[in-house]
Amino acid sequence: MQEPVLQLRDICKKFVGVIALDHVSFTLSKGEILALLGENGAGKSTLMKILSGLYPYGSFEGDIILNGKKQRFHSPREAEKAGIAMIPQEISLELDLSITENIMLGKRPQKRTGFIDWKKAHETAKALLNELGISSIDVKMPARSLNSSMQQLVSIARALYCKPHILILDEPTSCLTQSETEVVFSAIRKLKKNGVSCLYISHKLNEVFTLCDRVVVLRDGQYVSEYAQDMFEGDAIIHDIVGKALDTYEKHIRAIQPKEILRVDHFAVAHPYSYGKMIVEDASFSLYEGEILGLCGLVGSGRSELLGSIFGAVPKLRGTLTLEGKRVKVRQPADAKKIGIGMLTEDRKKDGIVACLSVRENVSLTILKALKKGVFLNKEKERGLVNEYIQRLRIKTTGTETRIGTLSGGNQQKAIVAKWLATEMKVLILDEPTRGIDVGTKREMYQLIRTLAQNGLSIIVASSEMSELLQLCDRFAILAGGRIKTIISGKQATEELLLKECSQL
Amino acid sequence: MQTCKTLWKRFWNMQESGVILATMIFILIITCVNSVFLTPDNLSNVLRSTGFTLLTTLGITLVLISGGLDLSVGSVYALGGTVCAKCLVAGVPLWISVLCGLLSGIVVGIVNGFIIVKLNIPPLIVTLGMMYIARGVVYVMTQGVPVYPLPDEFKALEQSSVIGSIPNVVVLSLVLAVLTNILMKRTALGRQIYAVGGNADAARISGINVGRTKMFVYILTGVLAALTGILMTSRLGSAQALAGQGYEMTVIAAAIIGGTSTYAGVGTVLGSVLGALFMEVLSNSLTLLRISVYWQNIVIGVVLIVAVIIDTYRRVLMSKREINELK
Repeated sequence: MQEPVLQLRDICKKFVGVIALDHVSFTLSKGEILALLGENGAGKSTLMKILSGLYPYGSFEGDIILNGKKQRFHSPREAEKAGIAMIPQEISLELDLSITENIMLGKRPQKRTGFIDWKKAHETAKALLNELGISSIDVKMPARSLNSSMQQLVSIARALYCKPHILILDEPTSCLTQSETEVVFSAIRKLKKNGVSCLYISHKLNEVFTLCDRVVVLRDGQYVSEYAQDMFEGDAIIHDIVGKALDTYEKHIRAIQPKEILRVDHFAVAHPYSYGKMIVEDASFSLYEGEILGLCGLVGSGRSELLGSIFGAVPKLRGTLTLEGKRVKVRQPADAKKIGIGMLTEDRKKDGIVACLSVRENVSLTILKALKKGVFLNKEKERGLVNEYIQRLRIKTTGTETRIGTLSGGNQQKAIVAKWLATEMKVLILDEPTRGIDVGTKREMYQLIRTLAQNGLSIIVASSEMSELLQLCDRFAILAGGRIKTIISGKQATEELLLKECSQL
Repeated sequence: MQTCKTLWKRFWNMQESGVILATMIFILIITCVNSVFLTPDNLSNVLRSTGFTLLTTLGITLVLISGGLDLSVGSVYALGGTVCAKCLVAGVPLWISVLCGLLSGIVVGIVNGFIIVKLNIPPLIVTLGMMYIARGVVYVMTQGVPVYPLPDEFKALEQSSVIGSIPNVVVLSLVLAVLTNILMKRTALGRQIYAVGGNADAARISGINVGRTKMFVYILTGVLAALTGILMTSRLGSAQALAGQGYEMTVIAAAIIGGTSTYAGVGTVLGSVLGALFMEVLSNSLTLLRISVYWQNIVIGVVLIVAVIIDTYRRVLMSKREINELK
């Protein structure tokens, strides 16, 4: 093996009450592309934050050894100086600035007079892009005019400006299509030839297998295993990522009558970030009455977009929706509400709660029409109804008049569920129902979802946590490559199988 | 003692407590210094100008709560008055003329709302443009010359009093304030306006027609601004091209001093009534104190900023306490 560039020794990091990293050690060689694999919460991003100086020296234990020397990074700037550059998950370019300005952001060369030396800036930018194998591009163009793979390459070029030895890439292909991914890969391979080492984080195993020299698997903050390129084997690695303990989850396998309530046919949805592309190309599936259907997919597979388009929150390009055997048209959420579809969105702060209003006003937001008595709202009925839901869902609040913004995340989430239960809908869509919720409330939420299904409500759940879906769902629809690839029954499903299908192995 | 304390606490928790206190303090000071303030003539003056401010402040309050802004009200004020006066001079019957004036406000409101909602252009820009356009229309119509003479029965609209000696505009603005308050507190539409301002995305997801709700507040504000202009024309006996310049700022300031949040989603009609009253008491007392008009603007500016600072910090304190209570 080649000389090690980076060694991590016994890295430990604790947050209040949680051990995020537990004696993690590994090495990275010169010119190597090392993939870091693990589920959400395995500790990958914590490790990368330590390495890039976001968690300063002293806030963790263990050593970072770079080229044989121990390093103490107090800030991202120091890590950058030492030659470690990180490219964040989401493309963070200033779209209205030129390519040069984006690459040289904050480091523009100055003339003696204090003015920017534009000539030098453009030349440097060109040279950096050249390193990535791009020569035919006008660096004076605004970044907006580039497609997403080029934008991603521009952010890599920005990182190259301080001549790093080590490049950290966090899910660089999550918004790219297959052919765009190839462009980025060939650039990374070119860097490798020039002796740059890469730490590559991704959920997409098939990409990892084609690009990386070695993988390291983390689970629950611990180093689990590593595989060299000639040892790559999907099943073994998935097994390591998932771990054994999780299969002991109690699955609730119920006998569901396959009586179709909702049918989604040939849905296509535009990509939210890159113009002219589709994130969902042709998705079809059906939902049975009283069942909980899990929608599985990796980051960037278009889970939220598909669910949003069923509900009318996201415009769809094509596709038909059939509810109880009748074709229905849903152009906006109001239409969905009318025919009995409700939705809990992914980000409750963004479009779930109205933070400055009370719990009462939030819960009744969907049923204002039903609460009308003549021209006025029937406030007594409203208060009674809201109180009923507070008790039924055990929402922890001082009363109906408490501002919802002051409640904890889990209770806000329950209030949003209450808002839809009040509408007496037939289909409930839950997008990441337990994101950012503590464990206790999570369990309550699971119980609630199951009870609702037992009472005949049909539910679609999407979650990035496979274990969560396994505990909840009766059937699983796998969304990959813009299509529903396959349907897996509750009996067959294991975390490994789901992950494998999602990764398109 | 105990009841006194809880009363005080309830008062302090009211959104309007700040402006009530400030108004009372001003009235107290001014009555001590200059006894003219409490004379019926002066009070009637203060109330009348409060009425003129309040009418449009009601609309602006709803616009601000819904997360929007309307800078065109000063020009619509002039437009409403001019359209009405032009009709009257041309011999159109009184009520139809008034209706035409109001209609001009509705048209402006619809155009504002349409561009903001359907074309998704920021309200600041749309209504700033409309401010110039409506003012321009007034200039074109009048060629800068006041429109008069107007019939006596039209002048009587504002200049006579239906109830005792209380100016008509005061009665009308209070009636409309009560109606607006009911709208905001007790109807679905009012709740929708709060929700749209608090979080438009969440409102849309909940199945609320956000566009229609926004449309409504702009149209209402247009009508109210035109109504104010018509009444002022009746009071002055002529329509002026320059009428209502700077009026948009006065009403926005009144709403904000009354506790309407510039972050949208928060505000009450009662607060805006008090805000309008405070603005007029302030300028009246400054005049009675013989403080020059030039200085008055400085005072109003300072008061506006201080009001928002106090309001912001009160809100922070209150939400901290709410969280503590929950724990």
